Amino acid sequence: MTQASATGRAHAIRLRLRRRPKVLTLFVWGYIVWSLAPALIAIAFSFNSGKSRSIWQGLSLRWWTDGPGSMLHNDVFRGALEHSFTLAVLNVLIAVPLGIGLAITLSRWFGRGSGAVSLLATMTLVVPELVLAISLFLLFTQLLDIVELGTMAQVIGQVTFTLPFVVVITRGRMSSISTDLEEAAMDLGCSPLQALRLVLVPLLQPAIVASVVIAFALSIDDFVVTQYLSSDASTQTVPMLIYNTARGSATPALNATATVLVVVTALLVALGGLLYYALSRRQRLGAAE
Amino acid sequence: MAGGEVRLAKLVKAFDEVTVVDGIDLHMPGGEFFSLLGPSGCGKTTTLRMIAGFEQPTSGEILLDGKNVALTPPHKRNVNTVFQGYALFPHLSVFDNVAFGLRRQGTPRAEVRRRVNEALAMVHMEAFAKRRPAQMSGGQQQRVALARALVLKPAVLLLDEPLGALDAKLRKILQIELKALQQEVGITFIYVTHDQEEALTMSDRIAVMHEGRVEQVAPPEVVYEEPSTTFVADFLGTSNVIHAVATQATASGCEVRVGEFELTAGRGAIDARGETKIAIRPERVTLEPHGSTGPNRLAGMVERVVYLGNANQIIVRLPTGEALQALVQNTGEKLAYEQGDPVRAHLPAEALRVLADTGAAEIEEQAAAAA
Amino acid sequence: MSRRSFYPLPYLLTTSGPGLAWIALFVVLGVYSLFAISLGTPDPILLTPTPAWSPLDWSFANFRDVISGLNPSGGIFWEVFRRSFVYIVLAAAGCVLIGYPVAYYVAMYAKRSKALLLVLLILPFLVSYMLRMLAWVGLLSPDGYVNEALSRLHLVSQPQDWLGGRPSTVVLALIYGWVPYFILPLYAALERLDRRYLEASADLGAGRVRTFIFTTLPLSVPGILAGLVLIALPMFGDYYTNQLVSGAATTSMIGNTINTYIASTQQRAIGAALASTLLIFLIAVLAYYVRTTARAARAVVR
Repeated sequence: MTQASATGRAHAIRLRLRRRPKVLTLFVWGYIVWSLAPALIAIAFSFNSGKSRSIWQGLSLRWWTDGPGSMLHNDVFRGALEHSFTLAVLNVLIAVPLGIGLAITLSRWFGRGSGAVSLLATMTLVVPELVLAISLFLLFTQLLDIVELGTMAQVIGQVTFTLPFVVVITRGRMSSISTDLEEAAMDLGCSPLQALRLVLVPLLQPAIVASVVIAFALSIDDFVVTQYLSSDASTQTVPMLIYNTARGSATPALNATATVLVVVTALLVALGGLLYYALSRRQRLGAAE
Repeated sequence: MAGGEVRLAKLVKAFDEVTVVDGIDLHMPGGEFFSLLGPSGCGKTTTLRMIAGFEQPTSGEILLDGKNVALTPPHKRNVNTVFQGYALFPHLSVFDNVAFGLRRQGTPRAEVRRRVNEALAMVHMEAFAKRRPAQMSGGQQQRVALARALVLKPAVLLLDEPLGALDAKLRKILQIELKALQQEVGITFIYVTHDQEEALTMSDRIAVMHEGRVEQVAPPEVVYEEPSTTFVADFLGTSNVIHAVATQATASGCEVRVGEFELTAGRGAIDARGETKIAIRPERVTLEPHGSTGPNRLAGMVERVVYLGNANQIIVRLPTGEALQALVQNTGEKLAYEQGDPVRAHLPAEALRVLADTGAAEIEEQAAAAA
Repeated sequence: MSRRSFYPLPYLLTTSGPGLAWIALFVVLGVYSLFAISLGTPDPILLTPTPAWSPLDWSFANFRDVISGLNPSGGIFWEVFRRSFVYIVLAAAGCVLIGYPVAYYVAMYAKRSKALLLVLLILPFLVSYMLRMLAWVGLLSPDGYVNEALSRLHLVSQPQDWLGGRPSTVVLALIYGWVPYFILPLYAALERLDRRYLEASADLGAGRVRTFIFTTLPLSVPGILAGLVLIALPMFGDYYTNQLVSGAATTSMIGNTINTYIASTQQRAIGAALASTLLIFLIAVLAYYVRTTARAARAVVR
């Protein structure tokens, strides 16, 4: 076979493999509509002028800002939103530094015992959330009585299951940072901790951004741990509120409250995505060539 | 720059059960361009990392200007390193990379600017001060890495295969620049490489390392011309190593027997007796027509002719079964020998070395492994 | 040669100390509390659970209750366990049937639309799980859009009570909730798949269908398994999905049973033993999965 016909044949094969089956295209777009439309409809219902969450009665801001039953004027809805965001911010502030510290050690320590610690640090990823929630609930009620159920216990619970996500993200980035860079920093006069602050932390910025976004989103979305470790109505988050009232006679103000969460999360993810992209572009590791 | 004297005494490094550096004694006087040469895994990089402070020796001493620094952390040693992958900080500009060490020392701003510019000028990179490492070629990054280390005026500069990632042409240019730079700044350079040519061109002295030990320490021409062990002879360029029996010492050297031929070896361990090995560089072997006579000649048959461009490599099979390489310069004339021709090989006594016994066992192992 | 960097122990402890302490305090001690309660003996008078912190006090009575409860003939947990298992298997199968074509298409065929499709596949992650369930509660309610659409099409004569305890609704809700989590890892696996195998298969004369069945599908098995593990683990602890879309005892899952037992002070130890058993069961399955995939990976390398 000649060179030309060989490449021609290879090209034909590639074309044959690339030809898009129309049925599959339809299926995929169908899936996308199915996966997103219900949520969009639920969001739309927050602007319903009627009391129903299933029959459309016209457009209004009645459940958002106007009127006594609106999300803005109802302490239960506002309280749930505030508590959701409080927990999310605390979760980010604790889980991100703890997880990054762990990841740095786990990716720079190869001695005996490192395998076991690594397993322990990521184990909660495969423990069903219900089991983790019950464990912490029993720990706080039976042994560590200084931790009272409520905000403190909820933050501890969320940080515990967020940690391995931060560890996994940061380790991914660490594996692309050569140990030469830290050695170079020490060679040029940095103590190990200065090397951490001046070289490693700046290079980990993309991983930090990603961790912040993930930690925030996990906290906002969490239900099981947060519910198990809650105390009274003042520690109710939006997902708990939905769970407790969705089947009852809740008004579209519930949809409005949930929409706020979606919008804030989406904005944060978009912002984080842009920042991540800009940072990793700026600090390409390695030569241009 | 005064000082820069390095002395390694009985230096050992073991990782778990593997001994990577196995008792090294070396002395590098201040201002010397010293190379550690050897194949990968010979312990040269580990030795360098111990001098830098990235590894702690298992035992032994590292004396820097007379002071034992074996346990001193890297940031407290007056020693700087140029890394194999340059290790420039990707988040900092070229200027900030070079200024990094000065700023850690608390150098005043104006002086930082002056010294960084000086250092960049020294490596011809002043125009690149605002660039980031990712925006430069390998050769440019290499120069910045040098400036970053030299700006601190260390007593000793450690270089870990700094030219390894560059293409052959650029490597040649930088070899010359590096040597000139070292003479200009006058500090001790300790240079790790597996490339014998690099070591031979630049170094004042070379330590050839093998399996965690130093085989020979000498100036380049001595290491090349008078290898003291089989390993050194073999590692530094192709060398013919032939089994021989040493019979007696004479005024002109050592009488050896290869098969039925008597030869005189004028160099090396001329007082050796019995089973030994002799070595000769291919370029020192001359081929003569079959039937020519004279001392120090072996009979053989041309087995293969390999065209190398500037020379022809001719492999001659000896009656003992061993192969002998001869390098014949390409003068433009047609080669006188072809495959299958019987020839005489002349091994001049002054180019023929009797090797010390130490490495003999290893060469046999290698031969056995190859077969 | 081993190239390990030299870090002093205090440095390692400074960066990881707080994280390690956190894990020791809350993960290790937390799981230990779960087992201590499971292995404890209830207070004889108050019947409240008493944790057995010391191995000397361990009693396996609660575990014996759980094991006998799981007896297929008459065990009190058997029915709910069987039901959970069936729901999860059906939901997982549904996720494969819906998720595989989607991941396959985006990895293999999407070109210009790929970035957009990926964003659309990630969007469900930004919407809280509870809101996505809330959306279906609205749609499936007697006066919701689903009933309206079906009656317009004359498929039903009167509104159906979709949320009144139908197993099919629970399974569909589980699929809807978890399929995005199945698609992403599978997509990543298919994306990494070496196209040259497929080209080789086509070159050897296999048509598109044969190439898919004999080459693509076997090569994507690890990705399918990874996706299944990712969705099956949380489904075993799920008690909220069926509560929201059904709420009936006839569709309750193992998570609901554990929930009920933990909520009751006197039977909390049984709940803890159930949760411990679930944990042990899932970790055993996972260990088996990790071992077989590691062995398969080694076989491929050889």
